[in-house]
Amino acid sequence: MPALKGSLTYSRSFVEGDLPDDFRERFMKAIRLRAMKPLEPDDDDLERSGWCRIGEPFELDLAYDDVFYNEYINLGFRTDRWVIPGPMLRAKMREAEAAYLAKKGRERLSKSEKTELKALVSKKLRRQLAPATRAFDFSWSTSEGLVRFFSQSARPIASMTELFQRTFGLKLVPEAPYTLAARLGMTKPQEAAWQELEVTLLTAAEG
Amino acid sequence: MQLVDRIEKRRFVGREFLLWLWFESEIFDGTLRTKEHGDFGLWIERQLVLSASKQEVTRIKGSYPAGSREAKEALLLGKLPDAAGLHLSWREHETSFSIKAEQMSLAGLALKTALGGEEDAPVIPIDPLLAKRGGKAKKPRAKDAAAESDEEHEAFYERMRLTREVEGLLEALFRDFLALRLGPAWDDVVVPALRAWVAASPIDADTYRAGRDAALSPSESRSRARKKREAV
Repeated sequence: MPALKGSLTYSRSFVEGDLPDDFRERFMKAIRLRAMKPLEPDDDDLERSGWCRIGEPFELDLAYDDVFYNEYINLGFRTDRWVIPGPMLRAKMREAEAAYLAKKGRERLSKSEKTELKALVSKKLRRQLAPATRAFDFSWSTSEGLVRFFSQSARPIASMTELFQRTFGLKLVPEAPYTLAARLGMTKPQEAAWQELEVTLLTAAEG
Repeated sequence: MQLVDRIEKRRFVGREFLLWLWFESEIFDGTLRTKEHGDFGLWIERQLVLSASKQEVTRIKGSYPAGSREAKEALLLGKLPDAAGLHLSWREHETSFSIKAEQMSLAGLALKTALGGEEDAPVIPIDPLLAKRGGKAKKPRAKDAAAESDEEHEAFYERMRLTREVEGLLEALFRDFLALRLGPAWDDVVVPALRAWVAASPIDADTYRAGRDAALSPSESRSRARKKREAV
């Protein structure tokens, strides 16, 4: 449910910390540094995330106008992951094991040999496949200090938060009733009352 | 209390907020108000999810799930609303969305925008003759690309403006809820009314409204009462 079209499904997080005066130039450099680098079959990483153009997961060359929409910083958060279908991996492993045993003239593989063989087979299979790509829109309203991330799943939110902190050097706090209450402003007595809150019982206690 | 505890151990406040919205929407016939926004329509529709734990979940679907018998029974069993579909009718907003109470997050927010509709989606022209001849399709000129980018930006600003308006309304409601929840009016005014409502006992909506309004803006409420006395 993206930022630019259709209905919106998103989670909100608040940015802790102040923006530097030259944040536009500084952030542009930081974003380019953390732009998505697509996974290659020979890479050690099985999963990788990075920034891309909002709504365009395969646009990785980011220009200033692609990112800055007045007070908004808009990006795509892209994750590539190698997904090798289980049956395919098992079939290729059987073939590789049989060939290896025949070559060595043995009947069984040691545990470490099996692990090495699996890594080799996986790498070979990755050359025949493309990594699975997912991307979610990200929109940071710098005037509100608020990030709208167009996913509500815990895993992408956690990965995006980590990349955000590495890119911008600022902390993101996910929205919750308390964070919203604090942002709207609580008086001291209200803050004290918050700490004492208990769930309201809708049926009067017996006795 | 540590920050993490203030966040994690009080997530139920989001569920109580949703419960309060449901309650007020029902006793005020789907018309709520805030000081900043005036009157607007807000009611639960399509779905309502209540739970006490991950194992004990009640999901109700239908045009008016909050009116079903199971919904109130779930409350009597100690469940609280977890998520709900809401309909909002305010100024140009005639919209539906879902709210997840503990995350205070919105899903499926449909916006009525004037810009950037599906019909305005950019079309990349491909000249079939050129393609046949092995030539290159014309690249959009820099001027066209700039215009396209401007349109995309404008459509985005409109979407964000509308989103912020909906969020602002929900935040105003949450602010009112907090003023009640964190003060004596919760136990004195709201909880007795909530209990009567859950038990399907009659509620005097005007008395409840007077009590909650007095708690939300005591000075305004006193002035209204004085004017009423003077008029009499």
